[in-house]
Amino acid sequence: MSGTPRARVLLTAAVVAIGLAAPPPPSVQAQAGARIRGHVRFAGPPNRRPLAATAYSRRITTPSAPQPAVLSVVVYVKDAPKRSAAPMRAAMRQEGEAFVPAVLPITAGSTVDFPNEDDYFHNVFSLSRGASFDLGRYPQGQSRSRVFETPGLVKVFCHLHAHMHGVILVLDHPYFTKPAADGTFSIDNVPPGRYDLAAWHERVGEAVSPVAARAGETTDLEIALPVIVE
Amino acid sequence: MSAHARVPPRLLVRTLVASSLTTLVVLGAVFVAITLDTRQRVTTLVSANLAASQRAFVAFERRRVREASLQAAMLADSPTLKAALDTYQAESRIAGSSTQAELLRTVQIEVEKLAARFDVDALVVTDPGGRLLASAGQRSADWPAGDVIRVDPEDAGEEAVVRRGRTAYRVFDVPIALGEDVVADLHVATALDDRHAAELAELSNAQVAIVIGSRVVGASLPSDVREAIAAGTDTLPADGEVTLNRKPYAVRRVFTVGSARFYAVDSIGAARSSATRRAFLPLAWIACGALVLAVAGSLWLAQSVARPIDALSHRLDRMAAAQRFDQPLPVSGTSREVDTLARTANALMKSLAKAESATQEAYVGAIKALAAALDARDRYTAGHSARVSAFSVMAGRALNLPDEDIEVLRLGALLHDIGKIGISDRVLTKAGPLTKEEYDLVKQHPIVGAHILKQVPHLAPHIPVVELHHERPDGRGYPYGLQNDATPLLARIVHVADAFDAMTSARSYRSAQPVQSAIAELWRHAGTQFDARIVEAFVGAFSASGAAVLHEAWREPDAHAPAPSLLRAVGGGLA
Repeated sequence: MSGTPRARVLLTAAVVAIGLAAPPPPSVQAQAGARIRGHVRFAGPPNRRPLAATAYSRRITTPSAPQPAVLSVVVYVKDAPKRSAAPMRAAMRQEGEAFVPAVLPITAGSTVDFPNEDDYFHNVFSLSRGASFDLGRYPQGQSRSRVFETPGLVKVFCHLHAHMHGVILVLDHPYFTKPAADGTFSIDNVPPGRYDLAAWHERVGEAVSPVAARAGETTDLEIALPVIVE
Repeated sequence: MSAHARVPPRLLVRTLVASSLTTLVVLGAVFVAITLDTRQRVTTLVSANLAASQRAFVAFERRRVREASLQAAMLADSPTLKAALDTYQAESRIAGSSTQAELLRTVQIEVEKLAARFDVDALVVTDPGGRLLASAGQRSADWPAGDVIRVDPEDAGEEAVVRRGRTAYRVFDVPIALGEDVVADLHVATALDDRHAAELAELSNAQVAIVIGSRVVGASLPSDVREAIAAGTDTLPADGEVTLNRKPYAVRRVFTVGSARFYAVDSIGAARSSATRRAFLPLAWIACGALVLAVAGSLWLAQSVARPIDALSHRLDRMAAAQRFDQPLPVSGTSREVDTLARTANALMKSLAKAESATQEAYVGAIKALAAALDARDRYTAGHSARVSAFSVMAGRALNLPDEDIEVLRLGALLHDIGKIGISDRVLTKAGPLTKEEYDLVKQHPIVGAHILKQVPHLAPHIPVVELHHERPDGRGYPYGLQNDATPLLARIVHVADAFDAMTSARSYRSAQPVQSAIAELWRHAGTQFDARIVEAFVGAFSASGAAVLHEAWREPDAHAPAPSLLRAVGGGLA
């Protein structure tokens, strides 16, 4: 098998991660946890309505796709046992009149920084149930932050730029990840058991696959989004 | 010919009638032509106006929708609206959210803000599925939240017709997009009603009717025309003429939105009548002018023809009354026809006069022949009439009488004894003295002579000469015993000449007297038997030219040789 080189890469990555973000490595759970590995095949947003100049005409304008939609997908274990996951500190930058990353999954209690990296003012506000707030306007170089306690979906907007929107998915467990641009993902240290694994996209919806996580083993999955083509 | 023979009209009436009728016919034709032309022009003009209205209308409509879309899109770019809508939808996907109502209220407030800045009947927000989330505007009651907007396929388009309750709306929408995603639609709805039709009418400069199916949903027209349109929506042409309430209208379909058809309507009748009125006024002036000219022209024409003819006929009347046809009619030179008429009349009169004089000469000749025959019955009276005639003319000339009188004298004297034709030869050539009965018979000869002459009309002037040549100034003459000037001068002259020739001629009952004694006799009876003035003139003239006169009388073809005694006496007188 090709375990040795892979372990070396992971080790290197872990060292880099520790060095950069210095999160407490859950080394104990890693011994007992399972690894769910897979690939999200994103077939495009089938239920995304063609962007028409007017809803009444049959005229269609071709939408531009600046980012692969798979980058807006969050893969998480749906029915994972609730456990007080260590709070994270994550960042959602305001960059090029967009929230980057556009989709940010975090654990409950985590703090999200909103640094402004554009050379003009931005604003961050939300009308969502879980976290209704307005961080006000602030210029380049400044950053405001907010702690998200309530699990759920939080949509953030900018009052100055109506098209800017970001999604923060607050989860009550740490078993989630975002696939890479090629669709591959990997969730480590999942407590053994049988779960539903969800690949979620804000507008496309969820694709749920049953998965059996066995301690010390790696389970491979292939998830296709969307599941149901209307 | 009947008693009520129609009197022909005057030439003036004819020319007036003819010229006026012609003018009126021409004017009528011009009027009809102008009216038809005006109608055609008006129809074309109205159609062209409608076509122009249509262009303006379509351009305006396109721009209106485009600008309103842009404006709506800009207004809809409200971050709060978008955030509320997006959050609302995100949370809708998670069942049982308690913040939904709050989020919808946020959306509603935002839409109301937009509506306040947008003069529109209804501003509506739907989710991408067409479900109504919020609405604002004066007619938002037709757009309650929760309803789903449905559009019939025939009503779809860049702008669609959406029926809400009893009202149809024309609706365009702008997507409310967040990045690449459409999170909602903002619909701008305008009610298709009379108010909208009136607005469009004001902009397009034509009346507007909005028709959906067989229903007139909005119109800027009076209700009767509107009902007429509603009664025949199927027959409304896309571009053409239509009769509504028995009046012509130009109709053009200027625009459609889904199944709603927008018609521009313009009354041709009203435009026609006003255009015809405008065209008629100058025509009326021209008509008046033309009639005046026609009347003046025909007056002039009639005068120029009638006046010379009147002059001719007047002159002819006078000539007829005077029985004188020797003066030719004047050739006026006013027109060739009138001149020809005058010349023809002149030629006619000339030939008439010729015939007349020939007739007259024939008569006169016949009577002269009678007179000569009379003279010839008695050798003593041979040449008497010719000599009396010559003497009378001589005396008349001496009295400076006009030529006409001289002519009357000449013929009258020649015929003075014509009445003796009725006296028998026995009495006329009797050698002895006449009995009283015989003398009374002789005294009848002037009356008989007059009676003979009356048979010839143009010898009328000579009758007094014949009838009265035996009257005397003292009233002892016969047949009437007239005195002095009661007897015409010519008769008195003949009386003297007759007596003189009788005295100087031999008679069966006596010999001829010498001239001198005859003159003496004349002088002796001057004032009683003879007119003294005539005797004086006669004697003077006889002394001066008696021989010549006698010679002249001698040369007359019908004259007889004068009595030798008279010739002798003349010769002696001259010697």
